[in-house]
Amino acid sequence: MRAAVAVEALKMRRSRLPWLTVLALSVVALVGGLFMFILADQQRARAMGLLGAKASLVANEADWAAYFGFLAQANAVGGMVVFGLAVTWLFGREFSQGTAKDLLALPTGRGVIVSAKFVVGAVWFLVLGGYVYLLGLAIGAALGLPGWSGVLAVAGLGKLMATSVMTTLLVAPVALAASAGRGYLPGVGFMIAAVFLAQIVAALGYGHVFPWSVPALFSGLAGPEREQPGVLGYALVLLVGVGGAWATASWWTRADQDR
Amino acid sequence: MATTAPVIDASELTKRYGDLAAVDAVSLRVEPGEIYALLGLNGAGKTTMIRMLLGMVRPTSGQVTLLGERVRRGHDEMWSRVGYLVETPAAYPELTVVENLAVVARLRGLTDPRAVGAVVERLGLSAYAGNRAGTLSLGNAQRLGLAKALIHRPDLVILDEPANGLDPAGVAEIRALLLDLAREHGVSVLLSSHILTEVARLATRIGVIDHGLLLKEIATEDLASLARPRLSVAARDGDRVAEALRVAGLVASADGDGYVIEDERAVRRPDDVAALLVAAGCPPTRLVVTQDDLETYFLKLVEPR
Repeated sequence: MRAAVAVEALKMRRSRLPWLTVLALSVVALVGGLFMFILADQQRARAMGLLGAKASLVANEADWAAYFGFLAQANAVGGMVVFGLAVTWLFGREFSQGTAKDLLALPTGRGVIVSAKFVVGAVWFLVLGGYVYLLGLAIGAALGLPGWSGVLAVAGLGKLMATSVMTTLLVAPVALAASAGRGYLPGVGFMIAAVFLAQIVAALGYGHVFPWSVPALFSGLAGPEREQPGVLGYALVLLVGVGGAWATASWWTRADQDR
Repeated sequence: MATTAPVIDASELTKRYGDLAAVDAVSLRVEPGEIYALLGLNGAGKTTMIRMLLGMVRPTSGQVTLLGERVRRGHDEMWSRVGYLVETPAAYPELTVVENLAVVARLRGLTDPRAVGAVVERLGLSAYAGNRAGTLSLGNAQRLGLAKALIHRPDLVILDEPANGLDPAGVAEIRALLLDLAREHGVSVLLSSHILTEVARLATRIGVIDHGLLLKEIATEDLASLARPRLSVAARDGDRVAEALRVAGLVASADGDGYVIEDERAVRRPDDVAALLVAAGCPPTRLVVTQDDLETYFLKLVEPR
């Protein structure tokens, strides 16, 4: 397992994926910072028209609580897209680039290779969560946001990492789509469909039982007045993660690899 | 005690996709140290056969034993003695040649740190060792694919079209390498190819496969007996040649700008035919004894039935 993880880590490290994911999530944190910058001065927010209006939708005022909330919410939705694309790359590339066949008859079993991909992906996604938090701290400090407290900072970290964990679990089926579909497109398609449906189902009021809506509800994207997902919602997220990983490993092990 | 069991024992292997039998009840055995070639046209079933041997495709019926162990899901350790290259060689384009090989070495659990360097040298990849795989020519990509198959010094090598993309020098090099592996190191080789002449020069046994059926197995030493000698003649006045041969009782068929005679008398005594044509006033401009090559034999075997 250690060898397979090292191999997957090398493949990821030498690709553009780490930089692209860092860039994407940096933009998320910077946009949040921009909103806080606008909200810090209401006059300036109104003067900036639409952007000001958007910033007002994100939060009513610029402080640490609002910024941590924004980061968690953005991580819930943006993370789904970024992590989904990363998982699509991790698995779909083996088929798009024709390297999958070289992984199928080795002393290192196919299940181990699939597990190594998930391990490397999950570790990187958690690192990304930590990075967004640290970048958020730097941006918030640079903006001089009011309302700082140690308790708030820990709670903000907890919420951000919890959304990262949930999002990581929810992109596991993307691996199955990219594998069974033998390329990038099916994975991307699955991810887009999941993000789209999450918005619709949440708007209809059933988000607490639709796993892909759960991180957004948990992070407060639907508003503080909406109730939290509940045990069933979290259990479904766990089920999607475990089931997606198992189904992917099972497909690699059992399906005919004839292309 | 040395084992005499076959290194590959495929029994009644069949793979069906709906009504189509990609491979139809193929049985074959490859003995230790043998180079066995699966020869067939594109779509004949060679790659499906190889994927079944490697456990990538589950047979609809039949079974495979490699190196004495039945190919089954979860029996991963057996692959430590098998090297393979299936279809077009692929590599991680952002990794260098050495890194691609290091990836295989790690996944194969190799502990010898010299393994990568040794195979790089053996396959003539030293000049490209630090190059990214994505920048390699087709021929060097093929060498890298072969290096991945041989890095762990396997007892059995299964290669799908190993000469693809190689220039003539590269083909000769790989031929020499495989012959050396088989003769000097006792490595057994199963390869597929549609390059008939190459197969004839390399394999100890050839299995002709077409439409999923193993039509015939031929020992290379028997190839000579399959070849039919013919006398090919041409002269400036073709009509007069035809007439002279007819009068002499030799059946000739038109072939390009000349005629082909399969009559044993003519093939054995081409000088008599030359004298005959000179006497008839149409001295030959070409007079050559040829033999049916494997290609002709092969095409006759696989012609539409």
